[in-house]
Amino acid sequence: MIRTEPMPAAVRLRGEMADIDVQGLVKRYGDVVAVDGLTFSVQKGEVFGMLGPNGAGKTTTLEIIEGLRIPDAGSVQVLGTDVLAHPGTVKERIGVQLQATALPPFTKVREAVELFAALYQRSRPVNEVIEEFNLEEKADAYTDKLSGGQMQRLSIALALINDPDLVFLDEPTTGLDPQARLNIWTVIEGIRKRGKTVVLTTHYMEEAERLCDRVAVVDRGKIVALDTPRRLIAAHAPGTTVEFAKVPGLDAETLRKVPGVERVVTDGRVSITTRMPETVLHTLLDPSAPWAPGGDAGGGAGGESEGAIRDLMVRHGTLEDVFLHLTGRSLRE
Amino acid sequence: MNSFRAFRAMAANEVRASVRNRTALIFTLGLAVLFMIIFGLLFGGNGFSVSFDAVNNDHTAASTAYLQALRNVNGVSVDVKSHAAAFADLKDDSVTAVLVIPGGFGAAYAGQGPAQQVAIYQAGGGSSSTAIADAVVANVTSGFAGRGHPSLTVGSPQVAEVNQVTEMDYMLPSMISYIILFSGVNYVAIGLVEKRVTHVLRRYRATPVRSRTILAAQVVGGGLTVLLQIVVLVALGTWVFGARNYGNWLLLIPPILLGTASFVGIGFLITSVSRTSESARALAAMVTFPLMFLSGLFFPISSLPTVVQDIARVLPLAWASDALHQVMNDGAGFSAITTDCLVMAAWAVVTIAVASWRFRWD
Repeated sequence: MIRTEPMPAAVRLRGEMADIDVQGLVKRYGDVVAVDGLTFSVQKGEVFGMLGPNGAGKTTTLEIIEGLRIPDAGSVQVLGTDVLAHPGTVKERIGVQLQATALPPFTKVREAVELFAALYQRSRPVNEVIEEFNLEEKADAYTDKLSGGQMQRLSIALALINDPDLVFLDEPTTGLDPQARLNIWTVIEGIRKRGKTVVLTTHYMEEAERLCDRVAVVDRGKIVALDTPRRLIAAHAPGTTVEFAKVPGLDAETLRKVPGVERVVTDGRVSITTRMPETVLHTLLDPSAPWAPGGDAGGGAGGESEGAIRDLMVRHGTLEDVFLHLTGRSLRE
Repeated sequence: MNSFRAFRAMAANEVRASVRNRTALIFTLGLAVLFMIIFGLLFGGNGFSVSFDAVNNDHTAASTAYLQALRNVNGVSVDVKSHAAAFADLKDDSVTAVLVIPGGFGAAYAGQGPAQQVAIYQAGGGSSSTAIADAVVANVTSGFAGRGHPSLTVGSPQVAEVNQVTEMDYMLPSMISYIILFSGVNYVAIGLVEKRVTHVLRRYRATPVRSRTILAAQVVGGGLTVLLQIVVLVALGTWVFGARNYGNWLLLIPPILLGTASFVGIGFLITSVSRTSESARALAAMVTFPLMFLSGLFFPISSLPTVVQDIARVLPLAWASDALHQVMNDGAGFSAITTDCLVMAAWAVVTIAVASWRFRWD
């Protein structure tokens, strides 16, 4: 089930090392296994996504790779350097955006950028970074007075202050309104255009599908699938999904007998996977079907007969379906 | 090396942020100034207030006039009591000192008997008010006797060396100690825990700066904030409130630095045992409030029960307060405050060492 990335070992030997190479990573907190034997690598210049629900182990994995936590087992090579042995060397060349905003109190935007610039051997000009992230107008404002989107732009700006080769963004758009989210997506696409490798975590499908070259689907500390979004959907969410609100008297058992239905998940809503959507819909909406309201009742009301199927939605496969298919649970529970 | 540049940038940001934190500033420098105003200007009158019990064994017009002369000094009250009652008052600290006027006082004043000495008894401890009492009695006695009657003297030999310490003179070193106590604990303990809880420390650790440099910058930044406030307080106290320093200004540096270091250390220690900023605040309050009253800031330690005195004398604030009062009020030299400085240095070294060892980053 786990698809490892297709690069053969010989390529690595030729010196084209992966930017990140993680082998057998394990991290436990007491009895809880947060990261359960992760192995993956991230190639230079790609945007690599880690998709999974809260508590899947994404942030812990990221923080180990960033040199902030010590794993219980496994090895991590970042930009050709062993993070556990030389965290300082790695930290000099990576940029980090933590999930929480994490800026010192009573500090203005420009001061925060200047402060972080002073923490690296090599850093970009402060004004250039402030302009690049459209923060000129807010340069003299306290950081706690920024909107969510501005704060996130600042946070990403600080991650890029040392002109890193590799950037980590931990849930860069969580909690943002749709417009601010689009804005951050543009920012991330800009980072990629400059040839930097990006690793991001998210629990938003659209985000992973739009931004990521490859996505690791993470659940309970394990990678359950790893591939490009398109191939993940093709492999784990083929066909079309038909969704609707639960109907009394129409259980999963009945639905599975409907011609063309391949898979039924009742997780709050009813979700049917099929490669013959027309056939399935025809059956579902048939007024003479046992679950349809009786003709008399409909006629007696003097109006259109109300169908049993409500809130109907038909869509092509997404990463959400991939996750549902792989784990039997929805991403946002 | 780059790490010094990083250290300087983080420490400077820390000082700047602390100065901008008005709430914290009100509780440290603001309250210190307020206490100076309340205690110094409102309660201080013309500078001091002392109360005597007098045991008059003479009962002549001369001794009555002498006591009246004493009463005429602003801020002085004199009650005539029996020997036993007077010493009972002294024992429970309801008077500053007891004067005993000898039987031959009137005769000596009239030049008809042998020279007599007025005796002063005071509780041990040597606070500023007992020093003031000595000075007052010495002045009044010499003034009274000086009008052609050199036969009357005061018993206490220390009188001549005592400075005319006003309430404000006493309050300034007290308030320096107060700032050392509160800001050391507030800026370091609560500040560091909040930076841990809000992941600021983790964000710093995601940079190449070494962990110990990050920690040192936070702690030193807190310490510098304290020193900055003390400079402002001393300037205000001296130029606005007219407090005087009878000692050498340079001698204030060791007790201020070491006192600050020991309380920064205690604050750092609180950080190491607190998970949340609420628990850090509670612990900080448990440390600071008792210490404030146990360490001679508002009244002399000698007025406390012996057991409490012993406890107070173990804690570093009493030593800081003692050293600052000795230098500023008594004009003491370095030899007089060496012990104070050594005790504070020991506190600083032990607390900072234990806190660094026990510090948790998450």
